[in-house]
Amino acid sequence: MIRRLSFTAASVVVVIILVVVFVGQFMLRRPGALEGQPTSIHLETVAAVGAANEWPRPNDPHPDWVGYLPTTILRVPANSTINVQIDQEDGATGLRNPFWGKVFGTIGGNMHMTYFDSKGNPQEGDMTSIDPTQAAHTFAIPDLGVFVPLLGVDPSAPPGSTNVITFSFKTQGPGIYHWQCFVPCAAKTVFGNGGPMQTLGYMGGELIVT
Amino acid sequence: MSTFHIEDADRPHAVRLAITWVILSAIAVIAVVLFIHYPPGDQTIQGADQASTLLLLTAIAAPVFVGVVMMIIYSAIYFRRSGPELVDGPPRLGNAPVQVVWIAGSAIIVLFLAFVGISTLATNSSAQTVPGQSSATATGAGSEMQVQVIAQQWYFTYRYADYGGVETTHLYLPVNRPVELHVTSLDIIHSFWAYQLGVKADANPGVDNVFHVTPQKTGSFQVRCAELCGIWHGTMADSQGQVVSQSDFDTWIAQQQQDYAAIQQAVPSYAPFYFPLPLTKGS
Repeated sequence: MIRRLSFTAASVVVVIILVVVFVGQFMLRRPGALEGQPTSIHLETVAAVGAANEWPRPNDPHPDWVGYLPTTILRVPANSTINVQIDQEDGATGLRNPFWGKVFGTIGGNMHMTYFDSKGNPQEGDMTSIDPTQAAHTFAIPDLGVFVPLLGVDPSAPPGSTNVITFSFKTQGPGIYHWQCFVPCAAKTVFGNGGPMQTLGYMGGELIVT
Repeated sequence: MSTFHIEDADRPHAVRLAITWVILSAIAVIAVVLFIHYPPGDQTIQGADQASTLLLLTAIAAPVFVGVVMMIIYSAIYFRRSGPELVDGPPRLGNAPVQVVWIAGSAIIVLFLAFVGISTLATNSSAQTVPGQSSATATGAGSEMQVQVIAQQWYFTYRYADYGGVETTHLYLPVNRPVELHVTSLDIIHSFWAYQLGVKADANPGVDNVFHVTPQKTGSFQVRCAELCGIWHGTMADSQGQVVSQSDFDTWIAQQQQDYAAIQQAVPSYAPFYFPLPLTKGS
């Protein structure tokens, strides 16, 4: 009888320990620290990927979608300075959150831009922010703290004009970091955040740091 | 009226089960009190309340759990069929003492747990100061600090209403000072989940969702989105949240005001919520 009772007690203890270990492991699992972050990168932002100046994709399943070209999968080395040039061909949509009109996380905290002013005259200079209502897109790598607003081409600029934005940032350790646009630039979608904003290969992608 | 009666043949089983249950329950209660981490921890008063409530519920549930498991195992060992099929005994039509004890006991436990849960919810919904702190120390600048949490695809930003509405990319909170969080969204439904703070709040466009927290320990915390919100939902997180001393907070917020002064002029005045228009964008 004592043997049976001992077996019962031992079984109960084993079952409880197994349950506690299972539940405990689940409960003790805490959100891990984010591994967030992105040499030379040359990109083009266009209102329709099928009609780009530099890297058009006429056979794209969504040729009228806004997008970054030629690709949104970027490979860069770790712990390096990355120099970025973005040829921005799209018009302004405006930021939903004006806060993103400021440049964050670049080397020097600024960007260099050649653009056209409201009279259609070419201008050039270093900037730390732009008018949020005149943003066409942003290039943001949140996990690296890099946020760069891209000024829309002014309507008075000559046809086919491009604003050229250059900046640099530093990568950290290896990893895969997402980058995205903060301007709700997906035309004709609810809140401007559908379609190309939600599809890899258009207004967002991955920065693969190796 | 029937009475509670244990057959003589069953008495040894009842004694064994009762003794075993008491011993194992005592071990289980000690174990759940001493060796289990209860989320979300104690970085805020509200988080500590939630953790202690979970501890209490688990401690009460432990003897019940032990009893059920014990009965299953014991029955499988002692009462398993070893011979020919037994003929079923006469039906039992009720036992008033057992039913009264069963219903009363269950009702007391359930009502007690409901009281504890509602009390915790109620206290979590209002501002609290850290026990032992004087009013002046506890409130820092003198009042509950308003911080707006702004969710958007796919990042959280924060505005400090008491500091000119300055917007920041990380959430810093002073220790021992009640904070009123106003959670909203610029686009779709998100959820602000600051695990260590004990806060998980829906972020809806056009809605000001108010939560109260009072940090009582300095240190870092995580912020994540807990509502599937699109392609980059899984990366909508920030591990740089900090609870700091009031003096460190004052230094930090002054730096933010300086760093973001230029863009701050383009940011609209502080408002309880945003309601983005138009609904459909066209470039």
